[in-house]
Amino acid sequence: MSAGQEKTTEARPHRWQMVIDLDRCTGCEACVVACHAENNIRISGAQEAAEGRAINWIRIERYWEGEYPDVKAKFMPVLCQQCADAPCEPVCPVYASYHTPDGLNAQVYNRCIGVRYCGNNCPYTARQFNWFDPHWDPPLQEQLNPDVTVRQNGIMEKCTFCVQRIRQGKEQAEREGRPVRDGDITPACVQSCPSTALVFGDGNDPDSQVAQMSKSRRGFHLLESLGTHPAITYLKRLDE
Amino acid sequence: MDVKRRTFMKALGLTAASTVLPGCDAEVRHLVPYVLPDDEIVPGIADWYASTCGECQAGCGIIVRVMEGRAKKIEGNPDHPLNQGKLCAQGQAALQRLYNPDRLQGPVLRTTAGSEGPLTATSWDDGVSRLAEKLRGADGQVIMISRPLSGTLAELLSTFVRSVGGKLFFYDPDSELSLRAAMQRGLGVPGIPQYDVAQATYLLSFGAPLLEQWVSPVAFGIAFGHMRQGRPTRRGRFVQIEPRLSLTGANADRWVPIRPGTEGLLALGIGRLLLTAGKADLPQKERAAFERFYGSIPLQEVATGTDIPLDQIKDMARTFADAEHPLAIGGGAACAHTNAFAAHLAINGLNALAGNLNREGGVRWYPDAPFPERTDVEWLSERRINELAQASAVGRQRPLLLLYDCNPLFTLPSTIPIRRLFTNASFIASFSSCLDESTAMADLILPDHSRLETWGDHVQDGSSPRRGASLIQPVVTPLYNTRALGETILDLTRRLHPETELPRTFAELLRKRWDGLATSGQSRPPASPSRWVQHLQKGGWWPSNSTTMQKLRTSFPAPAYEPAQFDGETSDFPLHFYPYPSPTLGQGRGANLPWLQELPDTLTSAIWGSWAEINPATARSYNIRQGDIVRVHSPHGSIDAPALHYPGIRPDVIAMPIGQGHIDYGRYASHRGANPLSILAPLFDAASGALALGATRIRLEPLAVPGDLVLLEHPGTKAGTDLLSIEKPRRAEG
Ligand code: SF4
Ligand code: SF4
Ligand code: SF4
Repeated sequence: MSAGQEKTTEARPHRWQMVIDLDRCTGCEACVVACHAENNIRISGAQEAAEGRAINWIRIERYWEGEYPDVKAKFMPVLCQQCADAPCEPVCPVYASYHTPDGLNAQVYNRCIGVRYCGNNCPYTARQFNWFDPHWDPPLQEQLNPDVTVRQNGIMEKCTFCVQRIRQGKEQAEREGRPVRDGDITPACVQSCPSTALVFGDGNDPDSQVAQMSKSRRGFHLLESLGTHPAITYLKRLDE
Repeated sequence: MDVKRRTFMKALGLTAASTVLPGCDAEVRHLVPYVLPDDEIVPGIADWYASTCGECQAGCGIIVRVMEGRAKKIEGNPDHPLNQGKLCAQGQAALQRLYNPDRLQGPVLRTTAGSEGPLTATSWDDGVSRLAEKLRGADGQVIMISRPLSGTLAELLSTFVRSVGGKLFFYDPDSELSLRAAMQRGLGVPGIPQYDVAQATYLLSFGAPLLEQWVSPVAFGIAFGHMRQGRPTRRGRFVQIEPRLSLTGANADRWVPIRPGTEGLLALGIGRLLLTAGKADLPQKERAAFERFYGSIPLQEVATGTDIPLDQIKDMARTFADAEHPLAIGGGAACAHTNAFAAHLAINGLNALAGNLNREGGVRWYPDAPFPERTDVEWLSERRINELAQASAVGRQRPLLLLYDCNPLFTLPSTIPIRRLFTNASFIASFSSCLDESTAMADLILPDHSRLETWGDHVQDGSSPRRGASLIQPVVTPLYNTRALGETILDLTRRLHPETELPRTFAELLRKRWDGLATSGQSRPPASPSRWVQHLQKGGWWPSNSTTMQKLRTSFPAPAYEPAQFDGETSDFPLHFYPYPSPTLGQGRGANLPWLQELPDTLTSAIWGSWAEINPATARSYNIRQGDIVRVHSPHGSIDAPALHYPGIRPDVIAMPIGQGHIDYGRYASHRGANPLSILAPLFDAASGALALGATRIRLEPLAVPGDLVLLEHPGTKAGTDLLSIEKPRRAEG
């Protein structure tokens, strides 16, 4: 799949964005399994994982604060930030990592030659390299999502914002001759999240939930000072 | 023993006169795509079918994406009142049960005696007739242990086991029996009621792991999100009281590291403060009983006993009393001691003192089930299993043992002679769909379909405001030569009671039961063929509005507070031990699913293994480095695990996740990590007989060799970068 190469017929391009409310996220990881199931993420096994080669497009980072007994643990889901000024893009010699008109930071798997410059340049460690060919013990492969390419050894991969779902949502709207409505498109992680910590939508639609929520006083961006302009706005967890 | 057709049918909730509806058979076999609203239909060739999750007892509604006959993804059913379209990690990973490479592919038989002989394939006819013959000769000495079941399958199974003179037990190590017993005694309800977390303004949780695999994980997750950010002007506060900071506790505003086994004592202190502050709104008659119960221990003793400063206790009591919707919940660590029942009475009594029974943000119970419930099946406590095992050793009759989808040989400590129950059995048949430590002992295995290949239903319990029933329907054709348990039971019944007229298939039985019950009462699903199709499309039936509540009241006197007992002398075994159900693998059931093995434990980022959590200060004093193996000795044995420095644990407690340490549970689970349950003492909650998970004391022996601790976060590399410390909340905009 050449991710995100679709053209929009609408005058105003979309700007796909996400809001992650850290005051809602419980660290339950429903989103992690949802992403694995939706996006054919390989099972690495203990050995590869021990070598740091397990693949997760979304992970829940955990931070300890304070010391016993006044200790706290905080969670933060981290996925590709779909940066507007993405440090991973200019370093790719073959333009495998590029920007779509919808503002997605896309990875063209069949262009990727595996030099991993993009991975080294991503400040969020969102990009993950396939050091091995994927393997599913039969019949586990029956589950694979036919809408998503299975990535082979030597390919860099990362969160796509579930571009296959975005494409389907846009096609559906086009068939019905209407614009994409807020809530039409939900990435797998967003769909599953029990506490509604994740919200997805078009930031260019001023009425969308995501546009509204990203204005929150609790909002911040990860590593804002780097000037990457992420498409993900985090809402701070409140303290007592 | 001799069950006539009429009684059998009646016991199943059917009238003997009911006949097969014409065309019914063909219709029920037809899969009905779940009807999504038009704008949600995914183009292409995917169909969605509604069904019900079977990974825990909650029974969330699911929809399954099917393409070309293969199940591709499980999501929450947006129409289901319980989970409202959401689904937990375990529910989604159930796909890997269907496609698990280690599933049994057909009936197998052990031809040589003992559990060592090889398993050889046999036919269904041979397998079922062998079991029928054994049952005929068992003379009523039949014990069946099953995971808790609901709906039509529970009815059928219980009727069947009774018809052979045997006894059916439900067993689930997660069932929190001490909490259930306290609810029965304190509130008179046969289950765990609704805790309205969504509307609570001050949640005081005594160890309840409500944001993990506990009671109803997705429903609590939804409620938690609402409690925090769902109300424009109010953010509910949340305090978690437990010796080890759990995943749930990490979400609290404040963690209170209480001394193990003193949760009830703390509740007594808080209750006493509520009473003396005159905050409790009680009739004069009842007040005296409450005062006797809560006033039994002086406050200073409470502070010393719980290891919580008196000021902090007073602060909790004050906030609880002043909150608009205070809510106290006990579970998890508070269920892990010999005084758990008494503790739960004290904890739940706080809700009565605060006057938040039967109201928003409080505790409620909905008694009207759409189907009459089976109440005669005994839930096995670990103490009861102990008794059964002891009895099997002395009795002259060797019982015939039937097993379904539970694994007591793994989930019980070796100090409970459960193995004896197995070795003394005259014959063991299992209906589980893959090998585990218990099913591996069977003489005959008649494997069940996977959940996604089978029919059934699930009746919601009294914690659901819109209490209904969900349907389970096959979403793919069975992969292997397996058979739904319901079909196997019907087959056995036909052979054992040829005079009985039975529905031809389990699906037909299910359909009839839904039709037959439909006419009586408002809270029942309406029946007609088109209704049935609708029910299948929607995934079940539930009322559109909240059903009637039962007026709850707490009746004291309760038994006096008792301190928790521990096994092991403090001098030899200086530390507490707390094995807790893994948030990812539960009590081990999830360990054969690679998605769950590879799902990092959120608090530690550990995957594919087990570990022992130790306070960094304790680790320093023992000179134990992160990742080094420690040997954990209890008075009953020892296990090895890599040490993990864990800031959120009392220095006198060592905690270990349950779930690993399988020896025979397929390629992903076997020979991985250690099972902390194996070294526990046979101590039980006095009232309910539930195993006291935290009642065993231990000593540590550092082995100073590195273990196989696999963490996803690698300190020192980029993955460990502290992204949060640079967080800068934006200045107020506009
Ligand atoms: S599913 Fe939602 S609550 Fe759970 S870890 Fe992911 S973002 Fe957090
Ligand atoms: S948006 Fe899709 S690809 Fe990205 S983390 Fe979520 S589920 Fe995975
Ligand atoms: S909470 Fe999870 S495991 Fe339990 S029924 Fe719901 S989805 Fe299934």
